[in-house]
Parts: sequence; C-alpha cells; structure tokens
Amino acid sequence: MNYIQTLRTAKDVVTPGMSACQGCGAELILRRVLQLAGQNTIVCVPPGCLGGSGVVGWDYQTGMEIPVHIPLLTNTASYLSGVSRMYQRKGRGDVNIVCVAGDGATADGGFQSLSGAAERNEKILYICYDNEGYMNTGFQRSSTTTLGSHTSTTPLGSVISGKEQQQKYLPLIMSMHNLSYCATASPSHMADMVAKIEKGLAWSKEGFAYIHMFSPCPTGWLYDIDQGIQIARKAVQSNFFPLWEMENRKYRMTYDNKKPISIADFVKDIGKFRDLSEQDLAAIQSMVDDRYEKLKKLSSEADCNE
Amino acid sequence: MSERKHISPIGQEGLYVLDTASWRTHRPVMDKNTCVECGICLSYCPVNSIIFNDENKYEITYNYCKGCGICAVECPKKSISMVAEGGEDHG
Repeated sequence: MNYIQTLRTAKDVVTPGMSACQGCGAELILRRVLQLAGQNTIVCVPPGCLGGSGVVGWDYQTGMEIPVHIPLLTNTASYLSGVSRMYQRKGRGDVNIVCVAGDGATADGGFQSLSGAAERNEKILYICYDNEGYMNTGFQRSSTTTLGSHTSTTPLGSVISGKEQQQKYLPLIMSMHNLSYCATASPSHMADMVAKIEKGLAWSKEGFAYIHMFSPCPTGWLYDIDQGIQIARKAVQSNFFPLWEMENRKYRMTYDNKKPISIADFVKDIGKFRDLSEQDLAAIQSMVDDRYEKLKKLSSEADCNE
Repeated sequence: MSERKHISPIGQEGLYVLDTASWRTHRPVMDKNTCVECGICLSYCPVNSIIFNDENKYEITYNYCKGCGICAVECPKKSISMVAEGGEDHG
C-alpha cells in the first residue's frame, strides 16, 4: 500500500475547522501524524500555534476525537512521561503516546524536560514542527530561527538586520541522547514523511522516538499562502533541511541530494529574508554545507526513500 | 458530592468546530477531464478538504476549505484552478 492509499483511508481525528492560518504547515503535519496514529492515541499539544488554534478545545468543547492535553510550554515531555508510565503499568502499552510541539516548546522552553525524557528513554513519539519562531504570539525569534531572519524581536534596522546568530540544529542534538529513533521530515516529501511517522510510532513502543519536521509558516515568514510546499521542497533541495534518520544507532540519509540548489534560491521568495546581506547569505550557505558534510560522514549508506 | 457524567467537563459540549470556509477568497475547482487520479492534492491539503469519495474519485469539499491554493500549485497536471469567490454563486 503506498502512502496515498494509506492517507485516503486513514480517519482524521482532528476537528475539521481549526483556526490555523491558510496554508499552515503545522496543520498539515498535525493531521498527518494523527491520521497515522489513529484512534488509539493520547496526544499532548503544548502552547503554540496548534495549541492556540483550537485543537485542544475551548471552554467545554474539545478539539479532537481522541484525548488531547495542553501541558505547559516547559513540561510537555515530562507530562507525557507520566502518562506513558501509567499506561505501561496498566498493561496498555499498545496506546500511542504522542506529542506535537512547536520549536519553542521543544528547543527553548521545553528542552530540559525533553532532554530528560529522552535520556530516560520514555516510550513517547515526540514530533516537533519547526516553524523557526514563536509564531503564535507574533513571530518572535527562537533558537531555531535562521540567521538574518526578520522577526518581531530581531527587526531590520540600522543597529541589527534580522537575527544575528545561526540556528540551533536540534535533531542532531536529540539523536545524541541514544534515542530509539530520530529523524527529520519535510511535508514536501510526503512519502518519506509518512514512512518516518509510521516508524516513529512503532519505535515509540520500545523507547523515545523524535521526529523534527520542517513547517513553513506563510504568516510569519511572509510568503504567498499557496507556496508552502514549494518552499519546503526547496529547503530540502538546498540542503537547508537535510532528510535523514537514525535507527539502531545508525544514521542514514533518506534523500540523497545529488545536485543541491543554492541557499540564495531557497530564500528568494521568503519575505523574512528580504534584506539578507551578502555576508549573511554566505554565512548560511557555509553553515548548511558544513552541516550536510557532517551528516554525510555520520550516515553509513545512501539509499533513499524517494 | 453529586455524581458526574464526566471525570473532566472538557468535551461535554462536543467538538470545537470553526467555520473556516468563510475565510476563503478563492475556491479550488478541479477539472475532472485532465485529473489523472494521482492523489497528490489529497496528500498535501492541510485541512483534509480533498476526499476520496465512494465512486473512487478525488473530490474537493468546501465545508472547511480555507482556499490556500496549495492543491492548485502542487497538482502535476494543473487540473485545479483557483476561482474567485463572490458574485451570484457566492458560497
């Protein structure tokens, strides 16, 4: 069964009308993850774009047809550790314990609880949708924001011109926690993404599984609402967001990029990079090339999902 | 303490559903003659508004479609076009 056959029969458990923006990458990721996880799932959505868009419910209404929790920004992984341990004790290890969190709740505020749960190898699937900032509260910078990005806390002006630091590369940091499964995925490469979600769900029964997903944000990144998948595809093709997975402590590139496009090509249609200087562009390009070389060295073989 | 129906009151009033179709400025219209049934539109729709219906055909539903246009951009056969909402057939 190919991925489209899987998706067209998988039931969507999220409310059909949620207030995520038009063309939201995170909404696509949430629906795909929970379609594959199915009804036998408990999900945690911390504060962030998805938490704010109604999927955790409002007043006496719920946002999903499955149990959904909204923990604090900082304690998502420890909250789910408790849920997971309780279900193990009850003999219900078949239940999928899933988290769908933004980059703020993963890389910044929630990092200590995430790192702790990963080190304890709790039986959780943790999905991070990385839209490179605190988009829900008005596009503030986060640690995964790219160098030179315009955000509301790193404006373009005479003193600074966008974010001054390079982004933190979280998936590699997470993979060093000796996880059961760690991967990166992009919605543009849907077959690969579906395969990784399925693997992540299977591995979450053995221990901690982490998937870092590229989530284009039309409102915060300032691009046309229909261009999200194109931008995600260019991010992969330019090696800005390389696709790889780690399974049984072996790294593997799942998209072998034979002819990468330049970072200049990737940033040209994205409004938050509109005043990117030549130096910043060169700095991002060199960071991206360096990172891709490191990942190539780590990965043992180069057979691809697509 | 009175007996409660739910452990927690969350969900006692059902599902939170927003009328996202009212946001739409353009609606996607599928040309059934050029469609090759690949299903790529279904896999990329963020709202899951494209369904695989009982007649084994892909179909766009408009109850919640926000009109983002990702399906029209990603369709390899360019079978989906974005048509402005409004006028007499405003829906």
